[in-house]
Amino acid sequence: MSRVRAMVIALVSIVSGGIVMALMGFGLASAAPHQTPQYAKDLGMTTVTVGGKSVSMKHVALTIGTYPDSMFGVHGAGGGPHPDWVSYSSSNLVVPAHSLVTMTINQYDSGGPLNNPFFANVFGTVGGTATIDGKVVTKVDPSAVGHTFTLRGIPQNTTPLFVSVPLPENFATDTPLTIGEGQYSKPVVVTFSFMTGSKGVYNWNCEFPCGGSRIGQFGEAMSTYGYMSGTLTVK
Amino acid sequence: MATNNDNKKAIYSIFWIWLVITIVGVLISIKAPAWLMPTSASSTMHLVIETIVVFSVAAAPVAALVYAVALYALVKWRWRGEGVPPDGPNLRNNSTLTAVWIVSSTMLTIFLLIWGLAALAVDEGGGNGKNPMTVDVTGQQWAWSFTYPGTHVASNELYLPVNDKITFNVTSKDVVHGFWIVQMGVKVNANPGVSTSVSVTPDKIGTYDIRCTEICGLYHAYMVTRVHVLSDAAFSKWLSSQPSRA
Repeated sequence: MSRVRAMVIALVSIVSGGIVMALMGFGLASAAPHQTPQYAKDLGMTTVTVGGKSVSMKHVALTIGTYPDSMFGVHGAGGGPHPDWVSYSSSNLVVPAHSLVTMTINQYDSGGPLNNPFFANVFGTVGGTATIDGKVVTKVDPSAVGHTFTLRGIPQNTTPLFVSVPLPENFATDTPLTIGEGQYSKPVVVTFSFMTGSKGVYNWNCEFPCGGSRIGQFGEAMSTYGYMSGTLTVK
Repeated sequence: MATNNDNKKAIYSIFWIWLVITIVGVLISIKAPAWLMPTSASSTMHLVIETIVVFSVAAAPVAALVYAVALYALVKWRWRGEGVPPDGPNLRNNSTLTAVWIVSSTMLTIFLLIWGLAALAVDEGGGNGKNPMTVDVTGQQWAWSFTYPGTHVASNELYLPVNDKITFNVTSKDVVHGFWIVQMGVKVNANPGVSTSVSVTPDKIGTYDIRCTEICGLYHAYMVTRVHVLSDAAFSKWLSSQPSRA
C-alpha cells in the first residue's frame, strides 16, 4: 500500500468517525423533549425592596399545576406514553430577567412524608414565605407534602438562584373536578414570588419522592424530562 | 548488525533526549498545578497540590525514558526498506541494567507509598484548638442541604467560619452522590443510609464551589452549590440571622 493511499484511508476514517459522532450528538439532542414554552403573563411594573432600596421592576405571573397523572397538560391525548405518572402541567417556563415572578401552583395530588424535612421549608421567595390557601407560611408539615417546586442549579456565568416551596398534600375530600381528560379534587393553591436575576436557563424539580420504582422512589416521573422537572428560562 | 559504536551513539542520543524531556517534565510538574488546580482554601488542599507536584516530578524521568526510547526508535530504527523487515539481533541478558531498573523502580514505588500513607495519615486540619464544628450534609437528587447541629439552622449553601476545624457528616436520601468541596480538597461519597465523616479546616475567606462527583441522574450536572467561608464574627452574625428551620 502506498504511503499516499494509507494517509487518505486514515483521513477518511477520521472524518467519517467525526461525522458519525456529530450525527449521534444531533440525534440525541433532537430526541430530548422540548415542550411548548409557557410564557409568564405580564402584570406591568411594580416596586419591590431590594437591600433596603425601593426598586421598580417588571411583574409577571405564572400559573401551573401538579397532577396525580399525566391526563392534563402537555403530554397529549390519553396522557401520552405514561398516563399514570405524576406530572407538572408544564415544564418549560419562560420569565423575563430582573423581574418579580409570582407563581401560583394548583396542587391536585396526594402526598406523604418527605424523606428530607429540609424541603418542608420555604426558601428563596420574597419575604421567605409562601401563601397556601390564603395562609402565609414559612414551612409546612413534612409528614404531609405532595410535591415541592425546587428551582436550583446554575446557568453559565451567573449567580445561582435557589427557590424551594413545599406543596402540601391534597387530602381530596371534595367532589372530583374534570379537567382535560382527568378528574381531580379541588386543588391546594400555593402562591409565592421570587425575583429573577440575569439571563440564563435554570432547572427545577420536585424533591418529594413521587417517582416510583427503584431507589428512593426517585425513578420514572422524577427521572424523565417533562414530568416532575423542567427548566425556567430567564430571558 | 549494529556495532558497539552504533549502540553507544544510540545510548548517548537517547540520554540527551531523556534529559531534555525530563527537564521539561519537571518544570511542567512544578508549574502546571498552579495554573490548572483551583485556589487552595485549606491545608488539605495544600497537601493535595503538593502531592500532585511530588508525584509528577518523581514520574517525569520515568515517563521521559519511555518517550526518549520511543522517539529515538521511531526516527532512527524505523524500517525504510521494502517488504517485511528482517528479525533484529537476539537480546542478551544485561544483569546490571536489570538490577538498576528493579532497584530504582522499587525505591521510587516505596517513596510514593510512604508519601501517600503519610499524607493520608495527616489529621485533616488541626483547627485552632477548639472542638470541631459539625455540619450535617445531605445529598439528594439533585440538591445539597446543610444543617448545623445544636442550632435550628438549615441552608442550601454552606457557611463556615475560617480557621475552625469542621467535621462533615455526609449522607444521601436516595442514590450515591459525591460531596466535593473543590477548593478544599474534600471529596467523599454520600451513601444512602450511612453517615460518613470527613474533616477540614478552611483557611481562606471566600466563596468556593461544591459539586456532586457521582453521576446521580437527570440533573447531576446541576447538583452544585457554594460554600462561604467567613470570619468568626461574620459567621456568628449569619448564624444568628437565620430563621429556625426546626
